Amino acid sequence: MTDETTRLTSDVIRRETHSSRAVPSTIMAGLVIISALYVMLEAALKALGQDPWLLGPEAAAGWISSLPGGISSTVLAAAGGLTFLAGLIFFLAAVLPGRKARLSIPNERAAVVVDAEVLASSLARRARVAAGVTPEQVLVTIDRRLAEVQVRPTSGIPVSEQSVQAAVEDELHRTAIDPVPLVRVTVAQSGVIGQ
Amino acid sequence: MNQTPRTLNRVLLAVFGLALMLAGALAMALGVPAVARWWQSVAGQAGEAIAGVLAATTLSGQRDSWLWIVVALLMILLVILMFAWVANQGKGRSGTLAYDDDDQPVPGSVTINAAVAEQALKAALSERVDLVNSAVSTYEFRGRPALKVRVSPRQGVAPQVVAEEVSALVLALDAVLGVQTPVLISISSGARSRFTRAERVR
Repeated sequence: MTDETTRLTSDVIRRETHSSRAVPSTIMAGLVIISALYVMLEAALKALGQDPWLLGPEAAAGWISSLPGGISSTVLAAAGGLTFLAGLIFFLAAVLPGRKARLSIPNERAAVVVDAEVLASSLARRARVAAGVTPEQVLVTIDRRLAEVQVRPTSGIPVSEQSVQAAVEDELHRTAIDPVPLVRVTVAQSGVIGQ
Repeated sequence: MNQTPRTLNRVLLAVFGLALMLAGALAMALGVPAVARWWQSVAGQAGEAIAGVLAATTLSGQRDSWLWIVVALLMILLVILMFAWVANQGKGRSGTLAYDDDDQPVPGSVTINAAVAEQALKAALSERVDLVNSAVSTYEFRGRPALKVRVSPRQGVAPQVVAEEVSALVLALDAVLGVQTPVLISISSGARSRFTRAERVR
């Protein structure tokens, strides 16, 4: 791979493992468009000397400057709280790292990005073969730091925690994910009947 | 991979979010009498200042200030800017995989259409039984064409095996085309892979 391709590939990995925030941006743009259209309408009516549609600019300014008069303080506080919450959601969407549930697998040629769900299902397959149980009895969740394997054994047939642990760790090492998440295996106390 | 303006998204979301938070916090604080008194005096002064400006910008013989026209035009500008912002989300699909108009060794230009790589890879991937779905698309990334290969394996298929085999296909494509483009292999779980059964015999 050429140097430029290597650099672009690592950029691609960063972009694909982080959220683009396209959805909150589109919602925000929609809100701004709606309010801007309304302000434009009222300003245009005012400029043309027509009657206001809903609330003329002077009336609106007068109402805002006379707050909290003429409105119950509970309603005002509730509206303020909702506005604050909406703003907080948008602000956090912008400020938080926005990491997606995806991991990258090192590869010589391409940027490889795997949904955590796909990796978890491949770990679950290894775990279920090692434990000798059906797919429904294994639950795997994985993030960048921790892979949690929960096994519900078939009633009367013990499951070796060590062998499941070894199988899952071996599968994780084969993916060459860096850093390797910690593996935690939990075998449920109660078994399932009729599998 | 696409040209979504990510920094702009973050900046604008932070600015608008902060503005909403400030407005909401002010509305909540108006329940306190001291804050309400302060707000009414500040808003009253601001209102007087604005009324002064409006009076000063009213042409003789007109009833209202021409500033209202400016406000309306500014709002139209804001709406256009917002539409441009939305239109830029997820932009960047391209139809050209490689372009070369070098005059060495012979003059002329060569264009390889993106469909070449897309169809070749898709045909190779559709034969595989461990993948439920695959899609290949070309994007323009940092001014260079880049390939995105999205595959959805069946449940339980080891992703590194899929990645190795897809990247072998990509290397073969490199050899055929003679150019190397950045490639993204995105191994994702779609609705179809979630509801189809895991393959028992491999």
